[in-house]
Amino acid sequence: MHTLIVIDRPPYSDWQGRESLDMAFALAAFDQPVSLMFRDAGVNWLRPAHEAAAVGQKSVEKALSAAALFGVHAVYADQQSLERYGIDTQAAPTPVTPIEDTAGTIRAHDHVVCL
Amino acid sequence: MAHSTPLTYTLVITGAPYVSQAPQTALDFARAVIAAGHRIERVFLYGDGIHLASALASPPSDEINWRDAWCAFLQEQGVPGVACVASALRRGVVDSTEQARYELSGANLARPFDIAGLGEWVEGLRQSSRVIYFHPVN
Repeated sequence: MHTLIVIDRPPYSDWQGRESLDMAFALAAFDQPVSLMFRDAGVNWLRPAHEAAAVGQKSVEKALSAAALFGVHAVYADQQSLERYGIDTQAAPTPVTPIEDTAGTIRAHDHVVCL
Repeated sequence: MAHSTPLTYTLVITGAPYVSQAPQTALDFARAVIAAGHRIERVFLYGDGIHLASALASPPSDEINWRDAWCAFLQEQGVPGVACVASALRRGVVDSTEQARYELSGANLARPFDIAGLGEWVEGLRQSSRVIYFHPVN
């Protein structure tokens, strides 16, 4: 069973993104296939050089950059959302696969979680 | 209304009581699952959903106490209720073990809920026929 964890909200505004990432890492830790998808304002996770300390938070970049190391299969990002927010995935904290067909990607997974 | 092939369910509640309708909707769903002849393997509280397991929530007496309603259901049906440890610690729901570990002034986990890790949710994904999420409305 391949699970897709979807993050559709920006980092630092609430804890749902961090807790989504925790779910992905837990699946990977138990050798369960898992991928991440960033869409809508969630693609802002993929910006480089977060200044999280300026808003009194811990940067999520380090955790995200460890996704492949933890065993997360793929990190997808919705191409339209990337364009809307002007994000260059080449500079992202982790290798990203831009996708045009988010609905198809969702359908291709057995289980989808979006907090 | 018995189903010909009984299914097993894991329910994941991510919305807090009195902030969202998630715990109430989940309880209605859980009762319907049992009434239809299926089985609930576990209820997993995650994110703000862990507030459901706070023994200190004291709503007015003319409002339904969703914690008590859920605890009664879990006990009657023998269903394990699990609060995610990371979510619970962030939000101040602890059992006596975590109270001692973090030298806190009290423990407030309502029984029969237990505190455990995300591995319980992963087990639900691996074992249950269905995993159903009850989120707050954004």
